[in-house]
Amino acid sequence: MSAPLLALSAVTKRFGGVTALDHVSFDLAEGELVGLIGPNGAGKTTLLNCLSRLYRLDGGSIRFSGMDIAKLGRHEVARLGVGRTFQVVRPFRSMTARENVAIGALFGSDRARLPPREAFRVADEVIDLVGLGGRGHLLVDELTVPDRRHLEVARALATRPRLLLLDEVMAGLNPSEVAEALEVVKRIHASGIAILVIEHVMQVIVGICPRVVVLHFGKVLLEGDPSTVLKDPRVVEAYLGERYARRVRGSRGDG
Amino acid sequence: MRSRVLGVVTVAAVALFTLLPLTTTDPARAMGLPALLDRSQLRGLTTISMFVVLTSAWNIIGGLAGYPSFGNVAFFGLGAYATALLTDPDHGHLPLGVGLLASPLVPAVVALVVGFPLLRLRGHYFSIATLGTAIAFGEVINNMDFLGGATGLFPPIIRSDLLFYYLMFGAAALTVGVTWWIMRSRLGHGLVAIRENEEAAAVLGVDTTRYKIIAFVVAAALTGLAGGVFAGWNSFVNRDNVFPVDYSVQMILMAVIGGSGTISGPVVGAVGLEALIQLLAGGSGVYTQILLGVLLAVTVIFLPRGVIDFVIGRSRLTLAHFRRSLRQTSV
Amino acid sequence: MSLLAQQLVLAILLGGVYVAVAIGFSLVWGILNIINLSHGAFIVVGAYITWTLFGRLGLDPFLSLPIDAAALFALGYLLQRGLINRVIRAPVFFTLLLTFGVNLAIVNLLLAVFTSDFRSVTPPYAGSGIVLGPVVIPSIRLAAFAIALLLAALLSLLMRRTRIGAAIQAVASDRDAAQLVGIDLRHTYALTYGIGAACAGVAGGLLSTVQAISPTAGEPYTLQAFVVVVLGGLGSVTATVVGGLLFGLIEVFGQSAPGLGAGYANAIAFAVLVIVLIVRPQGLLGR
Repeated sequence: MSAPLLALSAVTKRFGGVTALDHVSFDLAEGELVGLIGPNGAGKTTLLNCLSRLYRLDGGSIRFSGMDIAKLGRHEVARLGVGRTFQVVRPFRSMTARENVAIGALFGSDRARLPPREAFRVADEVIDLVGLGGRGHLLVDELTVPDRRHLEVARALATRPRLLLLDEVMAGLNPSEVAEALEVVKRIHASGIAILVIEHVMQVIVGICPRVVVLHFGKVLLEGDPSTVLKDPRVVEAYLGERYARRVRGSRGDG
Repeated sequence: MRSRVLGVVTVAAVALFTLLPLTTTDPARAMGLPALLDRSQLRGLTTISMFVVLTSAWNIIGGLAGYPSFGNVAFFGLGAYATALLTDPDHGHLPLGVGLLASPLVPAVVALVVGFPLLRLRGHYFSIATLGTAIAFGEVINNMDFLGGATGLFPPIIRSDLLFYYLMFGAAALTVGVTWWIMRSRLGHGLVAIRENEEAAAVLGVDTTRYKIIAFVVAAALTGLAGGVFAGWNSFVNRDNVFPVDYSVQMILMAVIGGSGTISGPVVGAVGLEALIQLLAGGSGVYTQILLGVLLAVTVIFLPRGVIDFVIGRSRLTLAHFRRSLRQTSV
Repeated sequence: MSLLAQQLVLAILLGGVYVAVAIGFSLVWGILNIINLSHGAFIVVGAYITWTLFGRLGLDPFLSLPIDAAALFALGYLLQRGLINRVIRAPVFFTLLLTFGVNLAIVNLLLAVFTSDFRSVTPPYAGSGIVLGPVVIPSIRLAAFAIALLLAALLSLLMRRTRIGAAIQAVASDRDAAQLVGIDLRHTYALTYGIGAACAGVAGGLLSTVQAISPTAGEPYTLQAFVVVVLGGLGSVTATVVGGLLFGLIEVFGQSAPGLGAGYANAIAFAVLVIVLIVRPQGLLGR
């Protein structure tokens, strides 16, 4: 068995006195599609920020294709092949959709660093792939909300990642838009890219992820195939208890 | 189509500003050309070229990378002092050409060193820290005896307005050329990405630290070159004439009025505003400064994206535009 | 030893002046998120009002402080209402530019009216001091120190105990919610800026008694105010007081360090600024 593409071991992140991630460990193989689910505040986005080196770890390690991420700069992680989207989209607003995507192709992983002219060609391909075809010339402000999500995915994809981290790219979309987005995820996965899909609404990823990891209060609650995981009483409680949990956090004033 | 028009305009402007100075009184007489300019007008054109350098160089770090430095005048001063020190008869006593070589180098090295801490700061902090750097550099140099203290340095007088015009014009052309090249290259795309969202740029693989430093160093080198030419031209430098904080703000004002983040905006802003200042009061004076202050306020409020926005057709100059830009930013 | 004690006393008294210089700046920055580059010019305006009243009418400089405050409040209120409110939602860089423009206009108006000559306010008791063993405490500086701290206390009280203060705090923490409960945003912004300017006016009046003034003297004050706020941390009057006093100590002892001197005042301030920003960006007492 070969080494995993991504290996998290005892990843820990604290903010002041709050432990946002507490000894989180799991692996992800080359080309695998894994869902990361958990109620609000479980630490999903924090984990993603650790993976893309926006945060420094307070303990544990993250290895990507054998490299320790802690020793790398943010851009080096990206160039090594970790692409990501942001839950709250962060487009380059003065640019067109096509230019946004071209930035990914211009700077992405080392094997894909392209001169400007070719970067724009790649951008056009990726724009078609995510279903933004024909709207590449629009400024970000002129795009619809779902299209901005697609743009976020396209930009990350243009870096030619080996691992794509998708942070709630389906939140706030209507059912037909979700179906469309799921198609895009499947298409990307079919091209051989490993994907970690973060979703709050677990039903969304049940259909496409062979394996899910459940995060709760910064810890891995359990992992396995979705049908078993979703029936597990601990997972049900984590979700049902959420409203209560939120009330508790709210009264502490840090929710 | 539009780019072809722009190309023709550029070539025409370069030709005009290359040939026109030959018609200044003395050289015109020597070459049998009609005298269209007098010496003070030629000096005015040199000053305009100088501000094109300063403004376009500021645009690289402030307009493209989105790090509005309020301290670029430090690089002008350092460049001027570098040249002055090497050419002053009491110090280096070297030819002007050698002195000019040092003028971009010294500020570039300084920018490299101070850039690492400064460019980690953002927003207000970056702006004020750069402002403080400029004031501090002026003050330290003012206190150094081997740099002439408060008296300053005196490079040898070279009586050729035409030479210094062409040097400054060359520096301006170089700066605009460098900007043009940057904007088409990977570097330029990376800088704009940093300006729009630094973290997003980083996770797409942009080496943000390195790119910001490069932009800062390039801006410093070009600004320093203008300082070096100024030192030779003025044959006298001290803190008051090469470290004025007003210059820092003037270059920002010119870039913003013209339209920062573009190639032509800073040029248009520098030429237009400096020409206006010279027409009004010969370049200095209390009332010019008051006017500058008012202009600053008016620009910020009514033309936040600069006049070039209208010229290249991204916005129409209408009352509705003013109302819209006001509504977007006011309470 | 006695030299050290004397320097310590002067440093603390100077720190009081810095508190006065920074307190309005801190308010405007903390509440409105505006770095007010015309703050130094406001201080100089206050100084000139005191100087004029002293020179023309023989009014004691300390008695003219309320007039400084009132005049600068009016100026600040009108500027915010008429100009700055219009770009308050633009990128921060624009308010920087706008306030610099205001600074430029004010400084040069002052130059046109008062010329660039240095002026000083010298009431009859200017040279007097309290002798405590080997240490002399200049009475004017002591008074300025006391008034600076009084100003800080008044501002703190205003922010915590009055309706205006509550409105200002509300606007700072959530603009939209504040509007929903009926707070007039434009008025509150203008009030805040006006209060900041009034503090600058008082600082100017105080400064005119301890230093010579000229229209272009304001720029370092803005820089100093910035350093004090960064040093202490943004967001509370106490932080500004701590920052101001600390900065007084740094300036006095920094300038007496070997190889340095009064000519290095701004360079020292800047060095402190950069070190604090790198080591502890939220300031000593910052949140």
